[in-house]
Amino acid sequence: MNTFVSRFAPSSSVIPQYRGALAGDDDDEFSDLTWGSQAGFGNIGAKGIPSFEVPNLPDPSAFLRMHTDDYADPNCRIKIQHGTTTLAFRFKGGIIVAVDSRATAGSYIASGTVKKVIEINPYLLGTMAGGAADCQYWETYLGIQCRLHELRNRERISVAAASKYLSNLVYSYKGMGLSMGTMICGWDKTGPALFYVDSDGTRLKGDIFSVGSGSTYAYGVLDQSYSWDLSDADAQELGRRSIYAAGHRDAYSGNTINLYHVKEQGWEFIGNYDVTKMHYDGPGNVPGATGGGYGYDVRTAGRSASDADAIDTSA
Amino acid sequence: MARRYDSRTTIFSPEGRLYQIEYAMEAISHAGTVLGVLATDGVVLAAEKKVTGKLLDLSVAKEGGYGGSGEKIFLLNTNVIAGVAGLTADANSLINYARSAAQRHLFSYNEDIPVEQLAQRLCDLKQGYTQFGGLRPFGVSLLYAGWDPHYQFQLYHSDPSGNYSGWKATCIGANNGTAQSLLKQEYKDTVSLEDAIGLVLRTMSKTMDSTSLSSEKLEFATLTVDPETKRPQAKIYRPAEVDALLAKHGLAKTEDTESNEMLSRDGRLVMR
Amino acid sequence: MAECSFGLIGKGYVILASDTTAGRSIVKMKEDEDKIKALGPNLIMATGGEPGDTIQFAEYVERNLRLYHIRHNHTLRPSSAAAWIRRTLADSLRSRNPYSVNLILGGYDHTTSTPNLYWIDYLGTMVDVPFAAHGYGAYFALSTLDRYHDPEAPLEEGLETLRKCVREVEKRLIVSLGKFKVKIIDRNGMREIDL
Repeated sequence: MNTFVSRFAPSSSVIPQYRGALAGDDDDEFSDLTWGSQAGFGNIGAKGIPSFEVPNLPDPSAFLRMHTDDYADPNCRIKIQHGTTTLAFRFKGGIIVAVDSRATAGSYIASGTVKKVIEINPYLLGTMAGGAADCQYWETYLGIQCRLHELRNRERISVAAASKYLSNLVYSYKGMGLSMGTMICGWDKTGPALFYVDSDGTRLKGDIFSVGSGSTYAYGVLDQSYSWDLSDADAQELGRRSIYAAGHRDAYSGNTINLYHVKEQGWEFIGNYDVTKMHYDGPGNVPGATGGGYGYDVRTAGRSASDADAIDTSA
Repeated sequence: MARRYDSRTTIFSPEGRLYQIEYAMEAISHAGTVLGVLATDGVVLAAEKKVTGKLLDLSVAKEGGYGGSGEKIFLLNTNVIAGVAGLTADANSLINYARSAAQRHLFSYNEDIPVEQLAQRLCDLKQGYTQFGGLRPFGVSLLYAGWDPHYQFQLYHSDPSGNYSGWKATCIGANNGTAQSLLKQEYKDTVSLEDAIGLVLRTMSKTMDSTSLSSEKLEFATLTVDPETKRPQAKIYRPAEVDALLAKHGLAKTEDTESNEMLSRDGRLVMR
Repeated sequence: MAECSFGLIGKGYVILASDTTAGRSIVKMKEDEDKIKALGPNLIMATGGEPGDTIQFAEYVERNLRLYHIRHNHTLRPSSAAAWIRRTLADSLRSRNPYSVNLILGGYDHTTSTPNLYWIDYLGTMVDVPFAAHGYGAYFALSTLDRYHDPEAPLEEGLETLRKCVREVEKRLIVSLGKFKVKIIDRNGMREIDL
């Protein structure tokens, strides 16, 4: 993943530019690397985007990569959480957000109870993929900024603006090792809104997104029965099933599923579901559940492809 | 005249014969009888043991292994058993070869070797000894009883020349002519395993030289398919089981009068 | 190389599907390449991997299975053919120049009246599966198949499941794989169809 990112990272000749700017005021919370526009942040945002202390080296991102890239060096000291599956989709009843709860460090399952949905505020949810710390920190930070926006402007920030803020923020750190793939979900004046934001600086508006190492598997289930007109129960079930599919197939995803539903009145936590239980018994008696385990072997138990019986009758 | 050719396996006589092969076959026709019958739901194999005596230690046969006393009937693979007639030492060598061949097939194809292929393997080997100089042919004939998914139950016979053929019922060794004509009279295509067992025991009791049948003189085996698993199942009877079977069919030692009567052979048929 | 093949079984049949693109570097050389080889009356194999190796290996397998048929008067059962192919690949891997070929093998076993499907990779890994995928398609379609595949599905339903997979790959995979060639094996032998 990191090598993949690095392939597309800006060439090292660009990087000293950041450092040159940052090195001047090591003690200052905010760097000189400020944005020209204050873009509605009033006097509080006078210094623009905050900056971090970065390693005092000619190339801090190379230094970071050296110690975190477990693909290039399995013995690296810091392992960043990479594997995950998150998804969110828009439909007539709002937005379904579903995520797994596994945190891995290399081949080690560091945790099975990670909250990958970050509750930014009662109307906004952010999902977590990539570096757990990066997501947690910056989305909490985003929550602060959203609250400040609310206080300053007497109205809630739009999902578009919130996601744009995050996008700009991470873009300012581009090439410095941030790793985030997140979906900002909420309900604003325009209705349900969903944006994908990542640490490359990509920001996309869309109806269906899935992010993480298990995303392809989630898409494989999600795409097949998605429709705008899904009922709330069916939409929730689809979210569960899609994350289950990824939890089953992707070694870096699994343990449990957290399901959220963003509605006009704000988001609602629907439930937490054990992937293994879903495999054998299903999600339990919840709206949309079809009954029975999701597992292939459970679902097709006793069914045989042999047509020995069929020929006996035709012969 | 024959002197000049019969000591060489690989040289034809002027009449186009390979004497050594014929001598090998002759040796076999004095060996203990082996009899096989193909039934609709299994194959039966029985063999007459020649090496007997009070002093022979049979404890191994009674206790361990897969049944049988290891003189005449062998398990070649999960799906094939064989009865041998001829030189025991040669037979042991062939059995070993057959077992290896079966394992090689399993290694390559992850399936039990088809019965005919196993017979073919052995025959390829045996045939080699009819061609290459300085070597003596194997003085062994075998009956192979087996099952495979292609042709289900099968019974094959192979001789020292490397010829093999499939049979519904056949016999090798001493008195094979008598046995074969008895089988020809009694065999029916629809014979069940149960009836085939009876047929084999009756025929054996008539052809064997000894006055009575017992586990001391008889080896017995069946090959069936497990109705549950659909996998072939070889059963080589232990001495006690052979005696129990003989008792069940009224051919056990104790019934002197009856077995004597059956053994009085009237008019031995000579084949060929 | 973005190659992709699928296989799935249903009631009395196996379907194999493979993309038809032959590429070299960034160039598409051919868009109707048949990557599914008939190995016998009831056995087909979809290959992918190192160009050159795929065809050489497929033909080597084909001729050897034909030889077995001639020698023994019956074809190898799909399970045995799969075992032999796996062994051949495993031996090849340990040779001086191994074949880099991934394959999906589909066959109908007349002795058990059962369709068989095997997923085999160039390392000699073999799995007996109800559905299979090689290439990037696996990442998208396996979850779809986990969800929708039914071993007792009649042919039309099986084809619909395959269509779901192909559609998913066309929708989500960033490169276009072009058309898919589809072959079916059942008790009556092999036939090709348009999806």
